[in-house]
Amino acid sequence: METDWSKVMEVFTTGIIGVFVVMILLQILTQLSTRVIDFVENLGKGEGSSPEPKSPTAPSKD
Amino acid sequence: MLDILKDLIYSSGAVSLTGGNLVMWLVSFVLLYLAIKKQYEPLLLLPIAFGILIVNLPLTFLMEPEHGLVWFFYHYGIELDIIPPLIFLGLGAMIDFGPLIANPKTLLLGAGAQAGLYVTFFAAVLFGFDLQEAASIAIIGGADGPTTIFLTSKLAPHLLGATAVSAYAYMALVPIIQPPMMKLLTTEHERKIVMGKLRPVSKLQRICFPIVTAMAIMLMVPTAAPLISMLMLGNLFKESGVVERLSKAASNELMNIVTIFLGLSVGATMTAGTFLSPKVLFIFFLGLFAFIVSTGAGLIMAKVMNLFLKDKINPLIGAAGVSAVPMAARCVHKVGSEANRRNYLLMHAMGPNVAGVIGTVVAAAILLKNLG
Repeated sequence: METDWSKVMEVFTTGIIGVFVVMILLQILTQLSTRVIDFVENLGKGEGSSPEPKSPTAPSKD
Repeated sequence: MLDILKDLIYSSGAVSLTGGNLVMWLVSFVLLYLAIKKQYEPLLLLPIAFGILIVNLPLTFLMEPEHGLVWFFYHYGIELDIIPPLIFLGLGAMIDFGPLIANPKTLLLGAGAQAGLYVTFFAAVLFGFDLQEAASIAIIGGADGPTTIFLTSKLAPHLLGATAVSAYAYMALVPIIQPPMMKLLTTEHERKIVMGKLRPVSKLQRICFPIVTAMAIMLMVPTAAPLISMLMLGNLFKESGVVERLSKAASNELMNIVTIFLGLSVGATMTAGTFLSPKVLFIFFLGLFAFIVSTGAGLIMAKVMNLFLKDKINPLIGAAGVSAVPMAARCVHKVGSEANRRNYLLMHAMGPNVAGVIGTVVAAAILLKNLG
């Protein structure tokens, strides 16, 4: 059976390009989602925290 | 009395034995030896080897369509695509995507290793395999057993036994195959590169990752859905922390049960008639080639990335892009610590390692889309 070389080249090139495109997009999405979550979590921490009361047992310099 | 005895002898399988059957027994015994004595991937090689043995006992008709016991396992488990996705469900419940989330650029290393797979595809076509067969052989380079079985069962089912055994055998041989390639393609200086500590990953990030990844990949490559959906569901079980029973069931009981049927069914496809041909035996050579080229492609990808990165990565971690979780990552760690005792690369290598699992699924799905 004759090999369809144009199909071979198509599978070869679309395969390599396809994998890279999908993985790069996934990388961008992962970076984006982790940054958004970091931002939201930091915001939550900032809002939730209040100035800590001075501990009566904390060592003091004087 | 004599007639009964004669009848018994003629109806026994012994008189129907062929030379091919005996050779396949030998193959089975070698695999049993590797599984039991050497402990090379015993969970799969053991049932595969036993499957080969029983299907090469004449007149048992275990693989007789619509009648044989093992045929039902094969038909419903593999032909209907039930078992590989279930294995992925269990795999997802065991995988820690934390190192990948902490360092998402390692996804590129998972992609880089897949380039080797396409080189093997090209080579297999040059050696006279048709396109579907070439794709099934090339996926061995991904070093991912369930994905190899998933793709081969769809594109070239007659090669299923050879590609599956080849994939699992080379996965077991990672510590032998990969280090020479790592040392060949990296300098001593590169192997000594110490990578900084990975940043912590929050629980919410771990929960969001499988959801975002499943949606993104299934939208871009719908043919990847059976494998990627199960992989990410298993991971969501694990990371959510609210369905511990399901997570444990997926990663233990279910995984063990389907592994038995998978191994037995794959082994049972290896009858003397289908397995003993120069073409099939050549697959083992091409499988090794695929694995070596994929390892090399991952290493080269890491070196290319270093040209653009401010904080250099140790290029050894590129070799872990071939999936084979976690052997490839352990192997990277070992070679890295040989070069520099202060080097602790295991967690850094786990990033590309799990990226390799995703990359192999994507590569298989694209092959399936083009050739299925």
